[in-house]
Amino acid sequence: MSRRVAVKTVLWGVVGALAVVTVARFWRGLGAVTNLSDAAPWGLWVAFDVMSGVALAAGGFTLAATVHIFHLKRFHAFARPAILTAFLGYTAVVVGLLYDLGLPWHIWHPILYPQDRSALFEVAMCVMLYLTVLAIEFAPVVLEHSLFDRPLLRGIHRWLEKYALVFIIAGIVLSTLHQSSLGSLFLIAPGRLNPLWYTPLLPVLYFVSAVGLGLMMVLTESNVSAWLFGHEVPSKARAGLGLAAAWVLLLYVALRLGDLALRGKLALAFAGTGAAGLFWFELSVTALVPMSLCFIRPVRESRVGLSLASGLTILGVVGYRFDTAIVAYARPAGASYFPSWMEIVVSLGIVSLAVLAFLFFTEHLHVFDEPPAAELPPPRPQPLSHRVLPRPLGWLRGYSLALVLGTTVAFALLPRRVLTPDLARPVPALKAMAVDGWMRARPDKLHDIGVLRPGEPVPLGATPAALLVLDGDRDWRRVIFPHAFHEWLVGPNGLRLRWRRGEAASLSSTASGEQSGRSGCATCHHANLPLERNSACASCHRDMFSTTDLFDHQAHVVALRGRDGCTRCHANSALPKTRATSTPCLHCHKNLRLADSYLKPKPTLTGLVPGYEQAMHGLCVECHRREVKEHPDRYPAQLATCATCHRAPEKSLMQRLEPYAAR
Amino acid sequence: MTKPQAILTDATKCIGCEKCVDACKRENHLPDDLSRSWKVRIDSLSSTRFTTVVRHDGEYVREQCRHCVQPACVSACPVGALQKRSDGPVVYDSDRCMGCRYCMMACPFGVPRYEWEKAVPHIKKCTMCAPRLDRGLQPACVEACPTHATIFGDRDELLAEAHRRLRASPERYLQTVYGENDVGGTSVLLIAGVPLDFLNRGRAPGDRPLPSRTWAALSKVPTIVLAVGGLAAGTWWITRRRMKLAEMNAEALPDSASGTEAHPSGDGAPQDSREAVQDKGSGSGGHR
Repeated sequence: MSRRVAVKTVLWGVVGALAVVTVARFWRGLGAVTNLSDAAPWGLWVAFDVMSGVALAAGGFTLAATVHIFHLKRFHAFARPAILTAFLGYTAVVVGLLYDLGLPWHIWHPILYPQDRSALFEVAMCVMLYLTVLAIEFAPVVLEHSLFDRPLLRGIHRWLEKYALVFIIAGIVLSTLHQSSLGSLFLIAPGRLNPLWYTPLLPVLYFVSAVGLGLMMVLTESNVSAWLFGHEVPSKARAGLGLAAAWVLLLYVALRLGDLALRGKLALAFAGTGAAGLFWFELSVTALVPMSLCFIRPVRESRVGLSLASGLTILGVVGYRFDTAIVAYARPAGASYFPSWMEIVVSLGIVSLAVLAFLFFTEHLHVFDEPPAAELPPPRPQPLSHRVLPRPLGWLRGYSLALVLGTTVAFALLPRRVLTPDLARPVPALKAMAVDGWMRARPDKLHDIGVLRPGEPVPLGATPAALLVLDGDRDWRRVIFPHAFHEWLVGPNGLRLRWRRGEAASLSSTASGEQSGRSGCATCHHANLPLERNSACASCHRDMFSTTDLFDHQAHVVALRGRDGCTRCHANSALPKTRATSTPCLHCHKNLRLADSYLKPKPTLTGLVPGYEQAMHGLCVECHRREVKEHPDRYPAQLATCATCHRAPEKSLMQRLEPYAAR
Repeated sequence: MTKPQAILTDATKCIGCEKCVDACKRENHLPDDLSRSWKVRIDSLSSTRFTTVVRHDGEYVREQCRHCVQPACVSACPVGALQKRSDGPVVYDSDRCMGCRYCMMACPFGVPRYEWEKAVPHIKKCTMCAPRLDRGLQPACVEACPTHATIFGDRDELLAEAHRRLRASPERYLQTVYGENDVGGTSVLLIAGVPLDFLNRGRAPGDRPLPSRTWAALSKVPTIVLAVGGLAAGTWWITRRRMKLAEMNAEALPDSASGTEAHPSGDGAPQDSREAVQDKGSGSGGHR
């Protein structure tokens, strides 16, 4: 009894966590809760809850066939628990599907809009029908309870038992169809599924492995119920099941390897790749080891040996489902998938609910046959009307406590993206403001960087001009932006910024301005960036930062005088004209690096601007370090540490520091 | 009924200006891109970007839905939410979709994208501007292209044009029209100077139309129903008859240890009959 209470307490705790994740899932959507992405559209919930769930519930139809079709009566002790497990298992599959489907309220659409070319349509219909059949097969167990001892229900009960065979055969047919069709799901992807797994034989392999797994599942269930309830099943029957499973697994191995050999892909299995290793590992765990164990008579007659064999097969077949749906399925390079803890909690939680339901049914209904060997008084079911709850209320309090505890822990662990998903969204810029003021230009600096020729006066600054205060880099910090001065710099008559050095002097500025057909406004307010985004300040002010570079091709064409100038950059006309094949910017622009910049571009750097990380680190970290060193009294010592800027380890916050996403 | 239409994209002519992306976004009212996670690059296809220009081997290649002639996604969808129109586009009906995302798994090019961040998510992908085609217009991306790197027209004519270009300047092009035969042909054709195999998700899916691969298995469903059903019923009848005979034998000759033929592993007849009696008492198949 205490074992069962302990197990139930743990299960209720998981269910508590499930409740929290359920709210998060349906409130915030799949993206907030799962690690699924366009690169991995199917994850744990499909591979485990749906595909493995269906396979794990295969014990139902396997045993129904053994007992009722082949009339192997000594396995009868397994039949009812196997049907119950299958019923609960398929219910769990459907519940798991409700979590996984993007629009779960459309789950009934396959009935309304049938599309018979889809393997998934067949699976959906079969699962739907089979769940109904299982409910009918299990109904007599419920109906024989004294609570349902009414004339009408008795009539239904008798009718159901009379026509039980029809439903049993229907169940076997439906199971055959959808157990195999789960494999057919992947026939559509010959390019995406690894050739060690992709074969036209997938449906057959799925079916055979499901039968083997079904037999092993029945053994496991009998072990678990023996552990929880003390129901012993004759070891001869168990050994018989083990032997049957071994033969099925042998067939599976033969099909798997024979198919590879016939298609000439066997060499791939010995190629020494990661996939080949996974293939052999999966095959050993699924079949090779358990099969060998079960073929040895003393092993299959011992409880430990059979438990080991069945446990391995369960792991292996589940692994087979995972491999075909996730691991061996092609993703874009660099994209990976590992389930989030919330996905795992949902999977565990649904299983917990199913196990709790199983325990409830076994405690209140006649699910297990009495142990034939033992002379103990049979564990009669307790009538529902008397006692739905376990006897001492202390247990109930324990379950509630576990439930609340699970809820609390899950809530505490919820990631920020669930609670405040807006953090991951781009941050809009602060509103720009216009002010009147004087711009105090620094002629020395302007001369340094070549905007002004030596001795040329600063054009603006003596009179009030419109200044903008704007958040140019979208980092929620406003800077003063002298718009008029920028207009002068890049405007139609200016164009100084781009060819401010010797070769530009010979150029007639007005002519070039007209020739290029640009007004300077477009330099910042241009359509060069996708979707007409403004250029960030950093596009020109290279001492800020940028992940992109501002290269005005047209301006270069004009500056270098049309077509003759092409070869200045595109030296080899045979090569495609790309940035990679062109003359590095530094070849002409010798003073790309600003004189007093903290940035130390690598000598190999050929791009127009240093990379973002280098720019940020060069700009900020250098100065922070110097300030801390020079004024230890004024700044805390940790000013120069990473955490000063990278404040939160949360991805979304780090991302906010990245200019591209932060737009 | 119009002839099947198609888009031909010539990667050697593309200058990577992304005007097509801009036009697509305007036409489909798509918001700015945002990257949900660091793993997803912002300039690949997404639920907010139906077409994109990727730099590959020195050429600009435009990615978009390939609008296969026999689309894997359409055959995969269990509710028929994706449909292939006779004039080319593969279109999506969000009212039917149940969000199983099997189309995303089935597409050999990994084109359909999902609105992961939404509580009511839908599949998002290029529609070949089907509403514009209905109005007699070209797709927005084609209209926006400043260099005519991407053009629209009858699929047959575009195929001829593509081959004409390959013949005219063999040094400029790889001698393959991507989409002519891949997975049975696509309504988006690509020619380029570099191999475009990187557009495939995984290995090249071959020329055989993908739906036929699923159908090879699914078409056997009626056979399986009849075979398995008949086999089960037959086995049930035979084994039951054998058991009855065995019981009769056991009654006639109580000492014989024949048992039932189905499990001759040493179970004695007396035990069998006891189990059979038990079964009648408690099983779900015994009362008749």
